Amino acid sequence: MPQAPSFETDFWKDANLRKVWDDIVPGEPRKTLPYQLTKEAIQLYCRSVGEDHPLYFDEAYAKKTPYGGLIAPPSIHILLMFACTPADDWMRTPGTVNAGQSWSYNIPARPGDTITLQARALDKFIKRERLFVVHDNVFFNQTGEVICSGRGQTIRPM
Amino acid sequence: MTTTFESLSSGDAISGPTFAVSRESIRLFCDGSLDYNPLHLDDDYMKNDFGKTNFGGIIMHGMNNFGLITRMLTDWAYPAGAIHRRLETRWVKPVKPGDTIQPVGIIKAKQATQKSRWVLIDVLVKNQNDEKVATGEAMVEFPLS
Repeated sequence: MPQAPSFETDFWKDANLRKVWDDIVPGEPRKTLPYQLTKEAIQLYCRSVGEDHPLYFDEAYAKKTPYGGLIAPPSIHILLMFACTPADDWMRTPGTVNAGQSWSYNIPARPGDTITLQARALDKFIKRERLFVVHDNVFFNQTGEVICSGRGQTIRPM
Repeated sequence: MTTTFESLSSGDAISGPTFAVSRESIRLFCDGSLDYNPLHLDDDYMKNDFGKTNFGGIIMHGMNNFGLITRMLTDWAYPAGAIHRRLETRWVKPVKPGDTIQPVGIIKAKQATQKSRWVLIDVLVKNQNDEKVATGEAMVEFPLS
């Protein structure tokens, strides 16, 4: 199973490999990587936003619910966006500012899932001297079911 | 009392716990989300101007707000057998270390469709000065049992 290599936390490294606003072609798929979601990654994300629901932490509890086992919170796509993209992806460009997001949720991601991402820039525009890109993202599990889909806008660094 | 679709009215409020923002909480969100953008890490970098804006220091990830709103919605929906289906957010004001923020929701409308039932919720995150730092809308499904 291909896995993201150890994650590069210095976003300046590889910065010269990333597309700038001018290079981004709306409609062109982004390079993505399959990612195996672990219980540890889910729980680290949960702790960072204060999520403490037993559906994310307590297997015995989760088994007795309609979910039938541990799940990830819906907002896990925040992690998946970086986990499923390579180091030269332009979402990592230092100074990228998130200008708003909308996400729709179908089924939960679960520990052990192999998550894939289909993503592209859908549009780009200039407004008040700022460079915007509209993003379109869909996450799938290993059986091809949609986990969630989202659209976002970022302001690109000049 | 258990929340049911029938018992909900426009104007009903929900809220999540307060969240104390610190350099450590922002760093933990970097590790939890793998988003190591220097906006959230590097004070020297944040001395720069961003267009006409100077933040004066590191800022919290906008998506940290998104995570807090999600937690409020799911903690409210799970006991009711309801499912969080959609969240749209915009960031209104940067959040910085030392701020304390809290997500809030107000039921806006209920809608029955051919196969299910939906609750529309206006959401926001406010800071310790009662200023809005994020706003948005959410949709929670109350399936027909």
